[in-house]
Amino acid sequence: MRKSAANLMTVEIASPAVLNMDLNQKGRQIRATCIQMAHDAKESHVKGALSCVDILVTLFNGVLKYDVENFANAHRDRFIFSKGHAASALYATLADVGIIPKTLLKSYGQSNSPLPSHPCKHMLKVLDWSSGSLGHGLGVGTGMAYALKLNHSSSRVFVLISDGECNEGSTWEAAQFAIANKLDNLIVIVDNNGSQSIGYTEDILGQANIAEKFGVFGWTTLECDGHSNSELFEAFQSTNIKQDRPSVIVAHTDPGKGLDFLSDHILWHYRTPSSHEVLLAKQQLDCNSLVEEL
Amino acid sequence: MRKAFADTLFDCALQDERILLLTGDLGYQLFTSFDETFPNRFINVGVAEAQMMAAAAGLAVEGFKPVAYSIASFATARPFEQIRYCIGYPQLPVLIVGAGRGLLYGQSGVSHHAMDDVALMSAIPGMTVVLPGDKTELAALLPQLIELDSPSYMTVGRYGEPTYIADEEIRLGQCRLLRPGEKLTLFSTGEVANEVVNAVDILNQSGIFPKAYQVHTIKPLDFECLESEAELSDVFVVIEEHLPQGGLWSAIAQWKAEYNSPVQLVRIGPPDAFLLGNKRRNEYRKDYFIDTKGLVNKISELWNTDGI
Repeated sequence: MRKSAANLMTVEIASPAVLNMDLNQKGRQIRATCIQMAHDAKESHVKGALSCVDILVTLFNGVLKYDVENFANAHRDRFIFSKGHAASALYATLADVGIIPKTLLKSYGQSNSPLPSHPCKHMLKVLDWSSGSLGHGLGVGTGMAYALKLNHSSSRVFVLISDGECNEGSTWEAAQFAIANKLDNLIVIVDNNGSQSIGYTEDILGQANIAEKFGVFGWTTLECDGHSNSELFEAFQSTNIKQDRPSVIVAHTDPGKGLDFLSDHILWHYRTPSSHEVLLAKQQLDCNSLVEEL
Repeated sequence: MRKAFADTLFDCALQDERILLLTGDLGYQLFTSFDETFPNRFINVGVAEAQMMAAAAGLAVEGFKPVAYSIASFATARPFEQIRYCIGYPQLPVLIVGAGRGLLYGQSGVSHHAMDDVALMSAIPGMTVVLPGDKTELAALLPQLIELDSPSYMTVGRYGEPTYIADEEIRLGQCRLLRPGEKLTLFSTGEVANEVVNAVDILNQSGIFPKAYQVHTIKPLDFECLESEAELSDVFVVIEEHLPQGGLWSAIAQWKAEYNSPVQLVRIGPPDAFLLGNKRRNEYRKDYFIDTKGLVNKISELWNTDGI
């Protein structure tokens, strides 16, 4: 069933200062939730989840067009969460804005849960795309963006990728396709957390400046603090200006932001938080997790 | 066959505006009419097969029916993960078209040989795998594949190859009887069917009458035909231009094991090896007895073997 564009939910945006404060609180709570979820499910990938929390919070609170009542609404913006291993952050954000029930978060990582450790569209219908294998999201996003243009749709495609994912050659095949086909309805956000599975991004392939690389391909490039909702919001706003080319926002992030025990990012790619660390996280972030509030 | 492909696809595209054609920078002058008539629906993605498959998936998610075209080895092996993960896993209606499969590009070397395409594509759950034998089969099967709501793989030969005449209708998922016969039942797939038909016509003159089926659809395999033929025939002879693993012989062997069929299974085809020497396809076919002459000899040997 198609709804008219008038039925779309667009979150009202207050002044940047108010927005920043409100969303900062959400970000801290979702961080605490990711740590709790990883602990409860004995899952890993905490680092990659924490680093993209503020990007997700900004996206789902004022940037993406979506309809909570009818997520299949054809007029919605498409969102591809390409760094699938960081799924806990996605699920917590979806729960926070009411797209999925908060009670579902307790099932994260359990057998047959709609919230597996890597997102699966067959299990969770509200997703636009499944993810888990890196380097696919951008290519699929270019296809969606091309299709939306063919359909004269005003919807846009947002793809969140990781800096590690930029190791994949397919990312750059997609980057070329997007520019050749003038996909100005495609916005990529790179969660530039500087670390990968077993090493630091710069040491592995020397990707010192990802924005510059996209720039050489012809993309509009923007850089911002990936934990500042106002900076992120400003970057997203500037992608509204059509320039016949896709945009990339390289969001510089720190997975351990606000958490002193999370300074070794490589360790925290696979480590599962202990009960003590869950407690520490809540103290240091000064909030409870969404799971506890149930 | 390539012209039949371009013409049939063009006709389908006139009827269904959801059909898009993607190419990995191949098909020189093949798609001129398509491009001129539907400029927005023809996308040259460049020499970027992985991107072609991922983009095709994104287009299909939004309701289009993409057809992704490249040389068979580059359309299957190279972007395999994109096909499996982006097209197979969500079961999207993308038709992958591999041109020049098997040893058609024999002289171009191993890089261009597609001897494992059936194995790779059949390994993907829900993938329909079709190898037409001539332009008639291709023209009949392509519209049926486009109607599917799930992924599929089809191969295309080159220009001006021979065709064969057979009465039986060409239905997706059903073996097609090419020549009636008895005792031995031959099963072929893809363009090697021409050699089989020629061989059978020659053998008939010496009083040898094997039955010949073209298995244009390898997946899903026509179990019904295999079961009923196993009742009538002592020996199944599989003729394939593919590696032994994962091709037609392998699919029929799997059926035989699963259904505990007593039928005897013989394979004629190339070995598990990279074929060096950059030979022409007809030379390679001769090496492995899948040319007309080789088949005549092999089949008459089997026909005259005691106990068969």
